[in-house]
Amino acid sequence: MNLSFTPPQLFLPGLHVGLEHYLILAALLFAMGLFAVMTRRHAVAVLLGLELMLNAANINLVAFNHFQQPQLGGAPLVSGQVFALMVIALAACEAAVGLALILSLYRNVGSATPDEVDQMKG
Amino acid sequence: MTDAQVFADLGFYLVAAVILLSALGVLFARRVLHAALALLVCLLGVAALYALLAAHFLFAVQILIYAGAITILLLFGVMLLQRLLGGGVLAGSHNLLSGLVAAAAMFFVLLGALLTTSFTVSPEATADLGAGNVALIGRALLSRDLLAFEAISLVILAALIGAVVIARKRAPGE
Repeated sequence: MNLSFTPPQLFLPGLHVGLEHYLILAALLFAMGLFAVMTRRHAVAVLLGLELMLNAANINLVAFNHFQQPQLGGAPLVSGQVFALMVIALAACEAAVGLALILSLYRNVGSATPDEVDQMKG
Repeated sequence: MTDAQVFADLGFYLVAAVILLSALGVLFARRVLHAALALLVCLLGVAALYALLAAHFLFAVQILIYAGAITILLLFGVMLLQRLLGGGVLAGSHNLLSGLVAAAAMFFVLLGALLTTSFTVSPEATADLGAGNVALIGRALLSRDLLAFEAISLVILAALIGAVVIARKRAPGE
């Protein structure tokens, strides 16, 4: 008796996940991050949108690395993943400096709405 | 198509749904605190995508650094602001129409570009390097990408010192 479970074959050929699916997901995520950056009133929420955009870029890097499997002299290259690591490190820096700027804005201006901070003098 | 592939595909669609729904939470939550928590779910979903792409080291880094450290930093920031303000930090939205137009334009430009490009996909695309993946990253960071590795540590040091200098309270006479 064959006990192995066979999942239903209800997939259209185009639904089989390939590189394009990851790229489309990343494009959607990037557009949503852009929307958050443009529409949010609070500076911390703008930072959250930036994180979404950085993650979309990272998905692209890792997906290309996985699906194209670059080689150098017979050994597989993981440059895409190393690049994504660097982006994660830079995102940490960006979050720390961004939050410090927002705290300092609150102390000096009393607001963290980017629109209301339009004076160069402190 | 083998069973494993079908399950991987189902996993992708499930994770994609989680990512997009939680990203909607980031866009439209009324309280910044809730938006930050939605971002946490979204980042965990991206970590699951890395696992699907056989990037094991990045999977761990995404959970530890991104979901662990960066989100907690943002939550600390939001809570500190709540103390300064004496109430919940609300995040309204403005420019909804122009934001929507810009985001939709961005998405359709990207979609058009990637649908009209034919990408070369390696036949061993599903090859899972397993633990060798981590060894490869370690070797790359200490040989080929050593300069970038050292430069980023300098950038992190500068950013952390800069953050402390910017955020500290000034003494009255300063």
